[in-house]
Amino acid sequence: MLIALLVFLPFGFGIADYIIGRKSERSRNRFAVVSTFAELILALVLAALVIRGGAGAVPSLDISSVFASGMHFRADGFRAVYAVVTALMWAFTTLFSQEYFEEEPEHLNRYYLFILLTLGATEGVMLSADLMTTFVFFEILSLTSFTWVMHEETQGAIRAGYTYLFIAIFGGLVLFMGLVLLQAQTHTLVYAELPQALASAGEVSDGRLLAAGLCILTGFGCKAGMFPVHVWLPKAHPVAPAPASALLSGVLTKVGIYGILMTTLEAFLDQATYGWIVLILGTVTMFLGALLALFSVNLKRTLACSSMSQIGFILTGIGMTVLLSAQSAGEGAEAAHEMGTAAAGGLASLGHHAAMAMSGTMLHMVNHSMLKLCLFCAAGAVVMNIHALELNEIRGFGRNKTLLKIAFFLGLLGISGVPLFNGYASKTLLHEAITSGIHEAGEGAAITLAGAGILHVIEWIFLISGGCTFAYMLKLFICIFVEKNRDAARQKRYDDAGSNCMNAGSTVVVLGTSLLFIALGQKPVFGALASLMTGHAGVLEAFRPLSWECISGGLISLGIGAFLYLVVIRNLLMSKDGTYLNRWPAWLDLEDLLYRPLMTKWLPGLLGAVLSVFGENKILSRLAPALFYAFASVLKVLSMTTDALILFLRKTILRERVILGQAQQKMSLVHKKRDEYREAAATLNGNFSFAMMLACIGMLVFLGVIVLAIVRG
Amino acid sequence: MMREILLIISILLPIAGGISLQIIRPSSDRAQRFRCELTAILTSILVWALILGGTMKPFTVYSFTLGFRILFQVDGLGMLFAAMVSIMWPFVTLYAFEYMESEQRTTWFFAFYIMTYGVTLGVCFAGNVLTLYVFYEMLSLVTIPLVCYYQNRESMYAGRVYAGYVIGGAAAALIPVMVTTLYEPTAFVLGGHRFDYLPPQFVLLMFVIGFFGFGVKAAVMPLHAWLPTASVAPTPVTALLHAVAVVNTGVFAIMRLTWYVFSPTILHGTWAQYVTLGAAIVTLLVSACRALRERHFKRRLAYSTVSNLSYMLYGVMLLNPDGFVAGMAHMLFHGVIKMSLFLCAGAFMHQSGHSYVYEINGAGRKMRFTFAFYTVGALSLSGIPLLCGFISKWRLLIAGAVEGTALSYIGEACLLTAAFFCALYTLSVSVRAYFPVRENNIWKDSSLKDPGWRMLLPIGFFTAVNILLGVIPGPVLDFLGRIASGTV
Repeated sequence: MLIALLVFLPFGFGIADYIIGRKSERSRNRFAVVSTFAELILALVLAALVIRGGAGAVPSLDISSVFASGMHFRADGFRAVYAVVTALMWAFTTLFSQEYFEEEPEHLNRYYLFILLTLGATEGVMLSADLMTTFVFFEILSLTSFTWVMHEETQGAIRAGYTYLFIAIFGGLVLFMGLVLLQAQTHTLVYAELPQALASAGEVSDGRLLAAGLCILTGFGCKAGMFPVHVWLPKAHPVAPAPASALLSGVLTKVGIYGILMTTLEAFLDQATYGWIVLILGTVTMFLGALLALFSVNLKRTLACSSMSQIGFILTGIGMTVLLSAQSAGEGAEAAHEMGTAAAGGLASLGHHAAMAMSGTMLHMVNHSMLKLCLFCAAGAVVMNIHALELNEIRGFGRNKTLLKIAFFLGLLGISGVPLFNGYASKTLLHEAITSGIHEAGEGAAITLAGAGILHVIEWIFLISGGCTFAYMLKLFICIFVEKNRDAARQKRYDDAGSNCMNAGSTVVVLGTSLLFIALGQKPVFGALASLMTGHAGVLEAFRPLSWECISGGLISLGIGAFLYLVVIRNLLMSKDGTYLNRWPAWLDLEDLLYRPLMTKWLPGLLGAVLSVFGENKILSRLAPALFYAFASVLKVLSMTTDALILFLRKTILRERVILGQAQQKMSLVHKKRDEYREAAATLNGNFSFAMMLACIGMLVFLGVIVLAIVRG
Repeated sequence: MMREILLIISILLPIAGGISLQIIRPSSDRAQRFRCELTAILTSILVWALILGGTMKPFTVYSFTLGFRILFQVDGLGMLFAAMVSIMWPFVTLYAFEYMESEQRTTWFFAFYIMTYGVTLGVCFAGNVLTLYVFYEMLSLVTIPLVCYYQNRESMYAGRVYAGYVIGGAAAALIPVMVTTLYEPTAFVLGGHRFDYLPPQFVLLMFVIGFFGFGVKAAVMPLHAWLPTASVAPTPVTALLHAVAVVNTGVFAIMRLTWYVFSPTILHGTWAQYVTLGAAIVTLLVSACRALRERHFKRRLAYSTVSNLSYMLYGVMLLNPDGFVAGMAHMLFHGVIKMSLFLCAGAFMHQSGHSYVYEINGAGRKMRFTFAFYTVGALSLSGIPLLCGFISKWRLLIAGAVEGTALSYIGEACLLTAAFFCALYTLSVSVRAYFPVRENNIWKDSSLKDPGWRMLLPIGFFTAVNILLGVIPGPVLDFLGRIASGTV
């Protein structure tokens, strides 16, 4: 019941809000805030129930009579936590929207409508218990969130919106294909039934399963921002309103991750190839995102690329979970196979190392959601005050804005993985996962000794990417809050604006979230959270975040970051007089280089060639008129023969010339030149309907006779 | 006996109604509307009385020599098609009243429009392939005047092309019709005949000729060009006939040929299957691509119809029961969706007088209902879940995966690519309508508005059906499953 409310209530709220908005704007805004906070309370109640009930009584909801295979929801630890995170993000961003849109209150009915609809759909995904339900809500939120990107209706926003929409639809379809491939093999899409179905379906071929897995990975990856389908991410964020960016980056990317995580945990835990693919794609995403962020000179674009990079960290964690699990499962599965028992999949079956990796992944998801909420809202505070995002323009804006400075600084500490802050714990766990993979190399089939070499490389990329995170965050922080603007008049304007740049509500949002980073960085807090989410009680008991082994990894990463900042950013990415430069080559853009031409030029061109072979307007459509001419020619021959015959008859038997002339005139109509032919056709068509009518009367008589025949028996 | 007469009357009534409209001219527009709508609704009631009475054994009404008979029956597949058109006709007739308001010669138009209804029902209830052929041919003839309705250069050309294609196709189809009737003069039987006593290659050749012959109306490439050309006809015609009745007759005839005349078992895995399946796959991809490049609103939708018809043929030519069910489902669902899309396109053209996609910028803010309905249809057609288009795509893909041959997987990939194109070409219209670039909002200060209730009601109805079938597809799919297993 609670789940149903949580999922479906926001849809009602959205529509109600739209109707209210047509009457009064003030009450609409208030209603939106109230409804998101109501949702938050519902989510908290649900989470409390889950914590109290333990693993035994997981709230669930099945609606079996609708849709293709019914809808299933359940709320275990992870899902409940994410339901709360989602509701929290929404409540805070809606609160923040109040101030953000004060100056430009256009199209806000639409904005709030789609915000609330997306909330419902996101809760639907986060609580879904089968892949089909996930898919349904995933598609809904893809389409509803698209309106956020286009909200501003500028040229750039429309273009980014198209990119977003079509990547989303592409993702949806590829995911759809994956679902079909999986369904064809397992005959079920309920997460909990997948391990059983895969174990009992004897002839499941690994190749087909892998194909299904890759389709699903790509599909969800489109929303998560995974390489190579990340292209919408750096484009959509800068043009979307800041609260929407926070949601896109903080929650919607996690929706993609949720899908990947769930399918991986239930169906692909023993597929080492799949694990390697996820790991490698994750690594590329992680590094590429960090690199793009380092080069970017736009505040929101940097944050967007940073999101991409953090998603890469999470994917790396998922990949490592699979590898570690497959590594340790080798012997266990064989034993299970001999005893004839089916392997139990899912979170419960994870080994110790894999569970550690998993908790790192899940913690990093939560951390990243919170971090991006804070950082994007801080960026929103900049935008709503000075309507600019370019680093050179906003430089020096925050020199005297203390609260904003504190919040942003906490965000910097959190995301860069400074010890005692939230990002540190999760990143260290992910790092641990990679190193334990290296330690276990050779003990199983999943990670061979050669694999360990690759893992070494990945470990270094991991550390460097962490360093990049520190570097680009430092770049942002120093630019906005430390340096002076090069335009003195502008700097004076910024300074004169005073230290107050947000109203009370927005301050609560930004500062409140940033204080969470400290809380989430403490072991009792994140330990309990990890136990709740993974369902393994005390999974992190053996984890010592402040041991030298762990801290050294963090310090190496921070050291690389400091080096990158001082050497690369201060020298290569800034001109002599200290302006920030965009050194990223403009042509190097996967979308413009490959995707757009592929879809708008190459494929249609190729198929156009096929069309011209098949005679679109060329050969075959001429065929119909040609047939008519052929027909006419036959008629002509026939008529000439008849003419000749008549002529012959007239000359011999019937000597009457007048009729002959008429006949000739009539026949000549058919074979005269072009205009005459048309004229004839017009006459023909004029009489045509009459002829048709006659035919129909004939039909009628015919059918009447038939009725009579039946009546008589 | 009673039901047999009912069946004949339901075919006859609209034909008689149409003819009487020409002979006894209605005194006013009002009277004409009344007579048309009354005929359509009465016929629909008759049809539903027939359908709810369940199946009916074949009965001969006239017998020529050599076992050539005119034969009617009511079976599952016929019921499906009849139910579909009988619900659509009254609604689209209502739509046509408003659409044709300012036109000349409306009596002429409505006479043929109503007659077409009866002929289509004849196709639905035909009991053997010869009867099917007779009504199929009549359907071609009776719709030609509708295509040439405007009687300008363009539509006369379209009429000639249309006539050339459909009559030529029917002529090709006549060959297998005659041959099969000669050897197996019985009524349609699910599972068909194996024709063991004929040379197998000859049987396959007959099938392929029949496929492409009937395939003209189903717009299989390379015989599709008439359909986009024919979109110059008035919208009620393009919507009801060239998105549902006429084109689905082609698919329907192919279904009859594949599952009720020839046995799927003798076709499965032969070159005949590869050729026909291949043609369907090429068509569905290439025409989707063509639709993407088309700028005329209705022609774009017409190409989309070409593509979607081949989805159905893909399902049918997989030659497994899953595929058959999926094909039927797509026939039904696509009908509903495409109807609402065409009617919306017509509403826009009627209200604004413009017909190109780039002229839509910002129209969604003025014609709120029309474009809201359009968007639902577009989403459904591109396969977004909770709308009915998704269900049939899901079934089609599952059927392809179950089949598991190389060609069926290629087909799946092409189908998904086509679905992606479909999203591009339908949704870009919605995006234009709702999110015009600020400087380019051409309808900003115009008096463009939604059409009247007679046009909106049908569109709203089809949209509602679209959502309903998408959320609760169970009963319909069960029924289709029973058709495919012959237990209706």
